[in-house]
Amino acid sequence: MNENRNLTPTLLRVGSVITGLLLWHYIANLVINDTAILVSPVVVVTKAYEMLVTTGELYPHLFASSQIFFWGFVLAILVGVPLGFVMALSPLVRDYVNPWMTTLYTAPRIAFAPVLLLWFGIGAGSKIAIVFLGCVFPILINSYYGMRVVNREYVELARSFRLNRWALFGKILLPASIPFILSGIRLAIGRGLTGVAIAEWFGASEGLGYLVFFAGQTLNVPILFVGVAAFALLGIIGFELVRRFEAFVTPWRKA
Amino acid sequence: MTITRHPIRKEIQRGCISIFAGVALWELLARALLENELLIPPPTSVVRTFWRLTLSGELYKHFQATLIEFTYGFSAACVVGVTLGYLMGRYKWFDDILDPWIATLYSIPVIALVPLIIIWFGIGIISKIVVVFKITLVAIMLNTAAGIKNLDPVWLELAKSLRLNGWETTYKIRFPGALPYIITGMRLGVGRALLAVVVAELMAANAGLGYLLRDSSETWDSPKLFVTVILLAAIGLVSFNLIKRVEQKMAPWRQSAEWSSES
Repeated sequence: MNENRNLTPTLLRVGSVITGLLLWHYIANLVINDTAILVSPVVVVTKAYEMLVTTGELYPHLFASSQIFFWGFVLAILVGVPLGFVMALSPLVRDYVNPWMTTLYTAPRIAFAPVLLLWFGIGAGSKIAIVFLGCVFPILINSYYGMRVVNREYVELARSFRLNRWALFGKILLPASIPFILSGIRLAIGRGLTGVAIAEWFGASEGLGYLVFFAGQTLNVPILFVGVAAFALLGIIGFELVRRFEAFVTPWRKA
Repeated sequence: MTITRHPIRKEIQRGCISIFAGVALWELLARALLENELLIPPPTSVVRTFWRLTLSGELYKHFQATLIEFTYGFSAACVVGVTLGYLMGRYKWFDDILDPWIATLYSIPVIALVPLIIIWFGIGIISKIVVVFKITLVAIMLNTAAGIKNLDPVWLELAKSLRLNGWETTYKIRFPGALPYIITGMRLGVGRALLAVVVAELMAANAGLGYLLRDSSETWDSPKLFVTVILLAAIGLVSFNLIKRVEQKMAPWRQSAEWSSES
């Protein structure tokens, strides 16, 4: 009975994926039949295999993109978490920083890309800055929020144990806000990948974003699909990594 | 909570001081340190350019183009998203069928899909509507489904004891119950859709704010570039706050982890 109940959703999912792929295959081959518009998933997989195994031409792009992503992301954590904490603990800092933060956060990030390009040139600097700008706000906001909503009882407990400021911070406030920070980091992954794509569209000569845009301009649909799939895969892997880390660092929270 | 609340007026006062000081500093630095306006145009010259573009009607034309694309895509996504999300929340099998595809679509950065959408739908207005539609759809769908699933069972029992029929239960119980979630989905959608429509316009278009952005950066017209950037920031800010207001009104009991939501 129980087994049966677990089996049906899996069957439905697998069935849905297979049906979708078959539909895609036949629409591409029989209905559209134009490789400049849509190609069958078989062609995409063949192309991916070729780029990964035969020629290996995907690796430089993957490497370039991950490098930009990594530095932008690390910088965002290094700036976002402390700034979020400071803003949570000092209303003065918060009130002065808030209007600028809100403006930068709610504006479509792409608008800043040409300006950053103007300031940092077309090298790695401007690309890292674009990724940074995408990642930093979810991390900052969640750090801020995590520190603000720490359970009052914990703080009172700390007071009654006469913990000093640093111990209060290290033993109560920081651990309590870690789950929030991590969910900010998880949100930042998607935004960071979008940042990579935006950054590499402006004056890059390698990277996944470059690959996708170049393929789009030359109507090379197989490569376009491989690039899009690579982005999706990176997103899923990053998401899963953070989830594992989250379960490891905060075992008291139910997964 | 742990930190004492201070009056809102002080907060606003500080915010205004901060903005005013920032702009003054920007003007001073731009005038004193930089010879030309290429890198950072001073605010006065940005304002002058803004006025000029407004008078000539250029700004309005591009603004209108973006607004139309946004409105069409967004409304279509609301209708389709709420319907599909409702079905996903009600029927487990439908959820199971759609789930793998949504998960895939969700994890692809929208920007990567834009070239493909342009190949399929051309460089005109339709490709931008599709881009907005796609992005908003996923956010609204997932949130509507969550809202339907998380409905308090007590309400459904109430519906049963009032002998409401299926349609009435949907209309009077399930839909209002899920409304706060739907609004959250819309808010998430607005920000992303704005980003995506600008990207699509940057890539291939002959009108719209994204086009203006590209045009001004390619001709090294920094004041014009800054006008566009500030305008886009303002649009983002206004739409974000508008939807947040609506959200707070619809569901004042919900705490959102977004910016400037005070505890």
